[in-house]
Amino acid sequence: MPDWREAIRERLIRLSLSGAREGEVIEELAQHLEDRYSELRARGISEQEARRLALEELEQGKTLEEQLRTVRIGTRREPAALGSTGRIRMFGTLGHDLKIALRTMGNKPGFSLMVIGMLAAGIAGNAAIFSIFDGLFLRPLPFAEPDRLVDLDETAPKWNLKFVGVSNPDFYGWRQGNRTFDAMAFFDDEGYDLSDRGGAQRIRGVRVTHDMLDVLRLQPALGRNFLPEEDRPGGDKVVMLGYELWQRQFQSDRSVLGHVLKLNGVAYTVVGVLPREAVFPPDRELWTPLAADPQNGGSYYLSGVGRLKRGVSLDQARADLLRVHRAMAQSGKPSVNDITSPTLMPLRDRYLGDFREVTHMLLGGVAIVLLIACVNIAGLMLVRAAARAREIAIRTAIGASRGAIVRQLLTESLVLAAAGGIAGVLIGQLSLSGILKLMPDGMPGWLSFQLDSRFAIFCTAITAGAAVLFGLAPAVQAAGVDPREWLQDGTRSSFSRGRRGALSALIVCEVGLALMLLASAGLLLEAFHKVLHVDPGFRPENVLTYTVDLPNARYAKAPQQAGFYDRLLERLRALPGVKSAAAVSILPLDGHAGYFFEVEGGRKFGQKDQNPVVLCLMATPGYFETMGVTLIAGRPFNEHDGRPASRAAIVNEAFAKYFWPNMDALGKRLRFQGPGNDWIPVTGIAHDVRHYGLDQEVRPSVWVPYNAMPQPAMSIALRTATDPHSLTGAVREVQRQIDPELAMFNIRTMTERLDRSLWARRAYSWLLGAFAAIAILLATAGVYGVTSYAVSQRSREIGIRMALGARPGQVMSGVLAGGMALVSAGVALGLAGAFLTTRWLESLLFGVSTHDPLTYGAAIAAVAAAGLMANWIPAQRASRVDPMKILRFE
Amino acid sequence: MKAFDRELKKGSAELLILSLVEDRPRHGYEISKQIEARSNGALHFHVASLYPMLYRLESRGWIQGRWVEKAGQRRRRYYRLTGEGRKVLAAQRVGWRTFAEAIRRITGIEYA
Repeated sequence: MPDWREAIRERLIRLSLSGAREGEVIEELAQHLEDRYSELRARGISEQEARRLALEELEQGKTLEEQLRTVRIGTRREPAALGSTGRIRMFGTLGHDLKIALRTMGNKPGFSLMVIGMLAAGIAGNAAIFSIFDGLFLRPLPFAEPDRLVDLDETAPKWNLKFVGVSNPDFYGWRQGNRTFDAMAFFDDEGYDLSDRGGAQRIRGVRVTHDMLDVLRLQPALGRNFLPEEDRPGGDKVVMLGYELWQRQFQSDRSVLGHVLKLNGVAYTVVGVLPREAVFPPDRELWTPLAADPQNGGSYYLSGVGRLKRGVSLDQARADLLRVHRAMAQSGKPSVNDITSPTLMPLRDRYLGDFREVTHMLLGGVAIVLLIACVNIAGLMLVRAAARAREIAIRTAIGASRGAIVRQLLTESLVLAAAGGIAGVLIGQLSLSGILKLMPDGMPGWLSFQLDSRFAIFCTAITAGAAVLFGLAPAVQAAGVDPREWLQDGTRSSFSRGRRGALSALIVCEVGLALMLLASAGLLLEAFHKVLHVDPGFRPENVLTYTVDLPNARYAKAPQQAGFYDRLLERLRALPGVKSAAAVSILPLDGHAGYFFEVEGGRKFGQKDQNPVVLCLMATPGYFETMGVTLIAGRPFNEHDGRPASRAAIVNEAFAKYFWPNMDALGKRLRFQGPGNDWIPVTGIAHDVRHYGLDQEVRPSVWVPYNAMPQPAMSIALRTATDPHSLTGAVREVQRQIDPELAMFNIRTMTERLDRSLWARRAYSWLLGAFAAIAILLATAGVYGVTSYAVSQRSREIGIRMALGARPGQVMSGVLAGGMALVSAGVALGLAGAFLTTRWLESLLFGVSTHDPLTYGAAIAAVAAAGLMANWIPAQRASRVDPMKILRFE
Repeated sequence: MKAFDRELKKGSAELLILSLVEDRPRHGYEISKQIEARSNGALHFHVASLYPMLYRLESRGWIQGRWVEKAGQRRRRYYRLTGEGRKVLAAQRVGWRTFAEAIRRITGIEYA
């Protein structure tokens, strides 16, 4: 039996009957056609012919639609027949509305795709950036009552350092004297070579005080926690394995307890396995006891974490620790001073503070894109509703209730919004994984960036908000349509002054928003460009680097350490393709080690003066050549430097300028702070190296010869004649031959290190740039759409004016002037907005003023050009209006 | 003339439908079959004109449609004459008779 329903539905579609009524009409007519068909078949007529004859019933005379149009088909409720309940009807209506909506969308695929595309662009950006924001700031740490966890550190403004780390005596004193903490724990990251039959691997470990698990409120997954007596100098060597390491290295073997591991050549007994949730301290694979000596107060190196007592605020805790610290300093202990003082902040802020500004900025950017998309869609819908006013008037005339029409339009909006939302979430998911790929490896392990229910709710809220926003405009407009007016004069524009005003306001807004975003993105990209062109102070091309950490067990003494590096560098220099090789304690962009210096004949520091901490590096001969650091005076280190007979130090320009202002530093002497330290002559002055990052300040730095202060952990740098990566295998083999149990880690070229140091700036600058590009595209589309519509509405007027002698050029410039007036208003609004908002960017900019005239000029030019382009096509169309055609039509 | 024809047909069609549902409720297909049968095939109302007419009569309140389910059959919409429809039918019958009588007198056509 053929399905008659579709054939009937097709013929009813433009009537927009209420859903229930249309369903009934279809059912009734289908029944009739079916009866007719059966009868024809019974008479022996072929299936095909019977079908044709039955369908003819719908075509005879005037069309069914035309016939029905003259009938007011009521939606009067009739007594419910058996088997049909109200609920089913309601769903039927919804389903019907949906079908109609889909069909209407299909009729105007261009329009629908445009709306869906605009929504998707806005939602995708929001979804991706929100997921990151959510992961960074909203998702709680995976510990009980994470809000009570605070980061503990010391600050020393006098040393020009925000965080110096906590010293042993301070941490013992704080732990004992405080009244506001349930518990505190301290830790220090430590790398271990875990030697295993025939090879060595580098394990990221951490030395922790025995109360770390208590602070985090966690229990060992297996075995036991460290005992207080193991956390004392000379305590037993024990280790707790991280959950992942236990799984990976020991295949989750429960008999691992009591097993002895060799870490840096020392035997450690496994006493426990950490739970999977022990993701703090971040990114560590095993824990050993800190066993800090309370008497050793020389260095500030510990990180701390405390659990506040219930109900204690951060300020109360801060005041409490300050009290404890001052009392300690006043008690006259030489190792405690008042230059450093405790500093506290929520744990999450300490580890993620850097990203807060960036994510806020990006959220602002996507919010603007979404806003523009919504404004655009609202404009499009207004235009479309005006174009559909006649259709709506007809529907009203044949009995569709106002409610039914509003419901239908809202359904259409919701269908568009749902499609846009789904597409947006999918694209957002893709962009999220793209952005995550840009993130560096060193992000805290507790972070996860996934879709979760809150994310879904967030996206749904955006979608629904957009739907209501742009569904409301045409619905409200539809309710205001007077059918008589429309049916009397179908050609007349329904574009009242008020509606045109609303559209103009929308255009001004979106142009303004686009300009704001463009100016912000322009400033950031300009800053990024400036950063990229900063001279790093070294030549990063073709330099391979990696780190080695000599274990104390086999290389306890300085000569052993020096001997190893001498041998290694000698063998490496002999490798084909290696131009030079050297070692340095810390590579550029890789970290900080601070000491205090005093100088002869230069700046003197009183008790209260600021004495900046100096970056102090140990380097082997050949380092400056290998890293490509230029000496502006003096000579590089040689093999003799560093022995008592040949002391030497190389300072950077910043050091020379700070300590010997307006003097020649070469040949002057410096020493590590404190009487009794030897004076060292300055043998060279090096060009400033951007050690902390291209966009970071340069601190005073001193290089001392490696022989003067041998270190177990050094980074090797090799300048190569070919692709540095091609040498990795040969280098590994050389090192394996010298000591097979030593791990090589952090193997990277300097170019890669430079790239990684810029990942965040690169990522957020380009992301905001992408948002700005989308914003300007959307705004252009919006301006184009509205101007074209206005032109099409005015074609009659234009035709008459041309008939009266207006030249095409005049018409065109008239349209252009009208459009560009709106664009100019938008630019003015956007400029004001940008002036107000770009100050939030200040901390992210580098070498660019927040009111950089060049960037603003470029942004305005871009917006104006886009606006001109968007107005040009409709203006040209207006100038080509044929007055004869228009008048004939009249 | 054409317009007159159409009005005539429309007027007569309304009368036909009202008469057909006078004695008992009928569904649309039955009505169309009855018209065809009783006119010996001279009159055939297509779906495209029959149902708009039914709805028009219904909207005027002369007939009332109602879904009825019978065992083993799909539900159908049956139309019955309302009180008002009955009055209209009576009036139209009178009017039609008068009209037919007038035509007969003028044209001299005699019915057997």
